[in-house]
Amino acid sequence: MSGGLKRLYRGETTINFYGRKNVGFIASGLLVLITLISLFAQGLNLGIDFKGGVAFEVPVQGAISTTVVEEVLKSENVLGDGIKIQTLKSESGSRIRIQLGDQTPEKRTAIQTALAEKAKLTVNDVSVSTVSSTWGRSITMKAVKALLVFFLVVSIFISFRFEWRMAVSAIVAMAHDVAISVGLYSVLGLEVTPATVVAFLTILGFSLYDTIVVFDKVHENTSRFSGSKVSYGDVVNVSMNQVLMRSLNTSLAAVLPVLSLLVLGSGVFGAVALREFALALLVGLATGAYSSIYIATPLLGLLKERSAQYVSGRGQLSLGADMEHLMSTGAPMSRRASASASAAAGTGTAVRPPVDAILSHPPRPRKKSRR
Amino acid sequence: MNRRPLLISFVGIVILAACLFGGNLAAGNTPSLGLDLQGGASVTMTPKGTYDAAALTVAVDIIRQRVDSIGVAEPEIIRQGDTVVVNLPGVKDQQQALELVGRTGAVEMRPVVKMAENPNNTTTTVAGATTTTVKGAGADITTSTLAQPTGGLGSARHIAADSTTTTTVPAVDPATGLAEGQTVLPGRKDGLVYLLGPAEASGEVFSNDSKAEVSNGAWVVVAKLKSGAAGEDQWNALAGKCYAGGAECPTKQIAIILDGEVISAPVVQAPSFDNGSVQISGSFTEKEANELARVLQFGAVPVQFDIPTVQTVSATLGKDSLRAAVISGLIGVLLVLVFLLFYYRVLALVVVGGLTVSGLLLWSVISWLSKTNGLALTLSGVAGIIVSIGVTVDSYVVFFEKIKDDVQSGRTLRNSAARGFESAWRTILAADTVSFIGALILWWLTVGSVRGFAFFLGLSTLSDIVVSYFFTRPAVLLLARTQFMNRGRVLGVAPSTSEAVSS
Repeated sequence: MSGGLKRLYRGETTINFYGRKNVGFIASGLLVLITLISLFAQGLNLGIDFKGGVAFEVPVQGAISTTVVEEVLKSENVLGDGIKIQTLKSESGSRIRIQLGDQTPEKRTAIQTALAEKAKLTVNDVSVSTVSSTWGRSITMKAVKALLVFFLVVSIFISFRFEWRMAVSAIVAMAHDVAISVGLYSVLGLEVTPATVVAFLTILGFSLYDTIVVFDKVHENTSRFSGSKVSYGDVVNVSMNQVLMRSLNTSLAAVLPVLSLLVLGSGVFGAVALREFALALLVGLATGAYSSIYIATPLLGLLKERSAQYVSGRGQLSLGADMEHLMSTGAPMSRRASASASAAAGTGTAVRPPVDAILSHPPRPRKKSRR
Repeated sequence: MNRRPLLISFVGIVILAACLFGGNLAAGNTPSLGLDLQGGASVTMTPKGTYDAAALTVAVDIIRQRVDSIGVAEPEIIRQGDTVVVNLPGVKDQQQALELVGRTGAVEMRPVVKMAENPNNTTTTVAGATTTTVKGAGADITTSTLAQPTGGLGSARHIAADSTTTTTVPAVDPATGLAEGQTVLPGRKDGLVYLLGPAEASGEVFSNDSKAEVSNGAWVVVAKLKSGAAGEDQWNALAGKCYAGGAECPTKQIAIILDGEVISAPVVQAPSFDNGSVQISGSFTEKEANELARVLQFGAVPVQFDIPTVQTVSATLGKDSLRAAVISGLIGVLLVLVFLLFYYRVLALVVVGGLTVSGLLLWSVISWLSKTNGLALTLSGVAGIIVSIGVTVDSYVVFFEKIKDDVQSGRTLRNSAARGFESAWRTILAADTVSFIGALILWWLTVGSVRGFAFFLGLSTLSDIVVSYFFTRPAVLLLARTQFMNRGRVLGVAPSTSEAVSS
């Protein structure tokens, strides 16, 4: 194992996340901007479940079957992901119901004729009617209302359990993740289905969960460092380095199944319905993991370093060996030790503080008699 | 910590999971699949007679509300031209579903005999006398004014079980003590139950131009009466009776009922309404007033549907998609386990066990709810569960990282495991609580596929908490006591003590 990986494995990295917070802010700002522009310029490609469309019904007869129907639709160039082909069965016989997005009158007639031809029926035997959306306006309103209540209650919970600044940061990060995922849909013009909405909600949940885990560490470190004069930027840096491995592992564990859905499910097994869903999830999970480190926590730092307790240490950051010392002992290094440590770090030998400085109290000696 | 409680908890959860799984398997409960994966019943309803578009929209809303009250399955409601198509997943409770969907909602007016707090949504007893204080508001507006005492109007979805029996009640039922024609119905949002006299007018006494408007700075609903025997006369007979406050209508209130729920119960402020206009006032919000106006509009021209036809409908995606999702999901989980095995070594075996236990628990609960509550698993539900694996694995990662830190700082594994759990448990609990709150709110306030999603999110969060505490904790703590685990670098990290001493 190389040195860097080993340090990562042991949670001993000293990456200055907080100092480079603007990189994250600028990158995310750009992505959100692109999202907004794209939403404004071309909006979202809403599927039949949201917009409604046309439904054809054709009795099952002659050469007609769902595969034949698919071929007809393909030759008419309307075969897309949002299409629903279903077989209806009752005592009086079977029918195939085809639902697709809105079509021009000529296209409708063309499809109707083609279907009738395959079923060896007259054109009038194939019924055409408009269908409403299954996902009506009232459902959207309800979902939006529920989300607002959700944000409110979650903010109250976080404020109560941690503090209000964490609530603000977590919600901003969450909104950021969903905005970027929605932006992807808008930019690529992918069709939004109810499953997509579910994917966005999943992203929301994951992002929030991930952020809370990081914040819990920050919260723990805040009380750990409360005795010593440490800037909040340091607290944030130390916390993020400590949870870095956990964040990477968790993200990997969450991404692997989704990646498998995307590559194997839709690629190898050909379940097209899975593709866009998995894609939305993948992007969401990635931004979720990214935002808790690059958006939520730096934002928290920005908000918090202005508070009375930390305002004096604002802008000061312990880097490199200083941070390592801070991490393991919970107290900033004195000026002299800091100088010698950076000299030592320069020569390549890591200086570890003595054990009794690492632990808040020394481990109890092992008893030999009992196991 | 003592060894025994750990062992009990560990063995207990494993046995519980195995029993639940075995029990469901023996009872033949399997998860039922949603419309997209398995298809279901498609109910087609064609309106008959005259109706107008607005009334049809209200009818669709009413149908949606009823269908959503069935359970957590994800139904589809489509207007195809003028017909309404309701697709219901699964075909198990088709008859019940048909009854629910096929009933037509009619608006009726009944005199209110008594009101009481709703004890627990059951409508068996009406305890005590009228306890609600009636505000005598609105007497200054016109002679044709009704005051709304409670202002309750909303969208509670609960429909009491016996709310269908609105018309025929036996002469005097010895069990409930109701007189002929009387019935007990819940209020929609006010938490009251009403003892009501027989229906003496229908919504058809009004013409269909009821509207909400602002009068004297408050929202009111104005409805016009149809002239003649079917309108004005019928209404005035009821209103007159209630204004007099006789035995049949001691509260002077008229209940407006839609679909077995009292939407509003205004107090009659005038003996008769001669100018053909009725104004209902009360502490309405704009939304409530509009909703009441809509109900009255619908009542004026109720939509009658022909006997619905039922067809089975095939899946839109089919089992291929499900198989693809399940297989690729399992492969994904396998990859995760391989990675964890490489990373956490022996401890990863605990993850394997934990995922198995939570898998068994989830499968059992989903199967059981499929049977009892009509739950249906859609493709997005399946995918949601796959994503939740990530969150579940996180609980282990948080815990193991903590142990690793402590071991590295020189603690014994046994000590580290105990301390690590305490701190990890706090983190897991905080993060899972947030997820659970979210799931609860979404489930409570939404419908359709969002509701289905919220359900699975909540379920997997709960299972994460249960498994973390009852399985992972004892498993790791017990493992940490074994000799094997304390030999050398089983975790991949060694105590840093030796390094520190040598430097």
